[in-house]
Amino acid sequence: MMVNAAKRSGWMEILPLVVALSAIGCGVGQDPHVLTFAGSAVGSEAEALRRQLDRFQAVHPSIRVELRATPDASDQRHQLYVQWLNAQAPDPDVLQLDVVSTSEFAAAGWILNFDQFHAPTADFFPATIAANRWNGSLYALPWFIDVGMLYWRTDLMAHPPVDIDDLERLAAHARDEHGVPYGLVWQGARYEGLVTVFLEYLGAFGGRILDEEGRVVLDSNAAVTALTTMRDEIAVDRIVPPAVLTWQEEQVRFAFQNGQAAFMRNWPYAYGLLMDASQSRVAGRFAVASMPGGAGGAPTSALGGSVLAINAHSGDREAAYLLIDYLLQPEQLLERARLVGQYPPRPSLYETQALAEALTIAPGEARRIIERAVARPVTPVYTELSEILQIALHRTLTNQQEPRAALEGAASSMQALLDKVGLSPAVHEK
Amino acid sequence: MRNEARLGWALTLPALAAIAMVAVFPIFWTAWESLHFHDLRMPWLGRPFVGMANYVEAVSSERFWGAMAHTAVFTAATVTLELAGGLVLALIVDRFSRGRDLVRTAVLLPWAIPTVVVALVWRFLFESPAGIVNGVLLRLGMSPPTWFADATAVWVPLILADVWKMTPFVAVLLLAGLQNIDRSLYEAARIDGAGWGRQLTDITLPLLRPALLVAFIFRSLDAFRVFDVIYVMTGGGPGTATEPIALLTFSSLLQNLRFGFGAALSVIVFVVSFIFAAACIRVLGRDALMERVP
Repeated sequence: MMVNAAKRSGWMEILPLVVALSAIGCGVGQDPHVLTFAGSAVGSEAEALRRQLDRFQAVHPSIRVELRATPDASDQRHQLYVQWLNAQAPDPDVLQLDVVSTSEFAAAGWILNFDQFHAPTADFFPATIAANRWNGSLYALPWFIDVGMLYWRTDLMAHPPVDIDDLERLAAHARDEHGVPYGLVWQGARYEGLVTVFLEYLGAFGGRILDEEGRVVLDSNAAVTALTTMRDEIAVDRIVPPAVLTWQEEQVRFAFQNGQAAFMRNWPYAYGLLMDASQSRVAGRFAVASMPGGAGGAPTSALGGSVLAINAHSGDREAAYLLIDYLLQPEQLLERARLVGQYPPRPSLYETQALAEALTIAPGEARRIIERAVARPVTPVYTELSEILQIALHRTLTNQQEPRAALEGAASSMQALLDKVGLSPAVHEK
Repeated sequence: MRNEARLGWALTLPALAAIAMVAVFPIFWTAWESLHFHDLRMPWLGRPFVGMANYVEAVSSERFWGAMAHTAVFTAATVTLELAGGLVLALIVDRFSRGRDLVRTAVLLPWAIPTVVVALVWRFLFESPAGIVNGVLLRLGMSPPTWFADATAVWVPLILADVWKMTPFVAVLLLAGLQNIDRSLYEAARIDGAGWGRQLTDITLPLLRPALLVAFIFRSLDAFRVFDVIYVMTGGGPGTATEPIALLTFSSLLQNLRFGFGAALSVIVFVVSFIFAAACIRVLGRDALMERVP
């Protein structure tokens, strides 16, 4: 590897030295394998990760792991990865990816096919494994799970809504009878979060973005109903405030936390923060449930979270997989659940007392929601599809377009994109 | 003479080489790149030469023309308001005989604040039901729109933020122009019985033309390439209702990593700016720009 690099750069004068040095290294056989791990490393996540990497190195003294911190925002991290991997850099060896990136990186040939490792896929939630497959092969393993949840106020109602109609009724009731300013709040700014909310409404009415063959089916009646429902919750029923159209997770949480909303759609991270009575006015007065279903569909939660993958140009694949396997062992996942509050991808852990103690949401409850989780479309051009969809959704919700026209336009742009890059079912022959 | 000319060339050569390397070469490289399909995320498609396909895609997309229209609206509105506001401000400051420096510094303050900070402050003023602007409007008995979720109302905070920040810059440029005007002209005019309005239209404005022209070109070109204010305040939304051409280029190039298409958009921005600047100089007078700039 080093020899190749030197030759390419034309540094002929140092070549003998490099050869000599690497010969020494191989001869003695003591230079440790050095792995680079790239991922999010702030706050409690960094703390948990450092501990686990230290223990891993204690178990495998011949492997040294370097932690390379990357931006916490997943789109910035993604951009950085693309630059590294496109340049065929051999490091970082192990990558923390957002779950929607796996197929993109797999199709580009940037991450390693996991089939050679015979990973124990049956031990993980099926939806999380499916999201990491591309062309029938596995390219990453799930590290932790995020799912969309409905937070509801236990002091304003006796039970969570049974379906979307019921939710809208309860929300209007809370607003009119209890003086709560907002019935329901969700992430409505033009960004990825809006797509996940839409995905949940879409599933609730039985719609999808892509069908099994990968064709765009976003212009279905179910999709129009889903988007019309979202729009009317703002414009007609007035249970969702128009302010959500600029809100992301945190603004939504603040509204719910200040007691301004009867319902909130958010990720699990909010639970612990809402329980903190020093900053939350609703501590002890809320619970979580699945996002409700509607006519023709089923309760649906958007699946998020991070996965672990290996750089296709990594110099040490075996060691890299060893590290991933270690990080995915039950005890590491439980520690992460305890320190960071992240949900492990192994269903078996949800039976254990240890997880019940680690998590703020009862594992049985969490598991029921996770089992309803639906992945976003698995396609290498997901981010572009998402951008097209974000614009169509936001235009509709801000009354610039009608739901059907917006979705038909988005569907045809998406199909055109898939056709152009050779990923539509007819052309797809990789 | 010939020797001198040769020496002149020799002396300017390093500077010309530097300009060629940092300005001319990137422009040509971008133009070349724009003739290729090059998507960093789809290495399996390679980097084939596609001729004008990227340009065809741009001009046949509704989003592109929307972006051009938003850029034009933003440019027209901000430049007009900034030139008018800057002129008024300059005339006022020009009246101060004492403490002019202090006033001038105070006037410049908004311009010295980083755009991102300005954008965030203005967004905060307008955002959320608890924002100051909404509070005032509610007290006055009006029902304010949800500014950033309304495709029309959203222009108000955007344009206000840019005008607030850039008007001082125009004012200072014009103030310098005002101070270059010979005071005796005003005296003569007063003796001839010309009032304040007559002095403004017959002396101040004609003689201020070069400075106005410079301010106009600077502001127009800047506004045409507007990115930061809009990126921070609306991200181009709601939907794409405020997306300017620079933001579309950014999202194609750096977020979607479509290098070929992004390069084509960059070339379009470059060509339009270039034509605009050339037209300004031709129509409004080359001499004015080249020689009489204060």
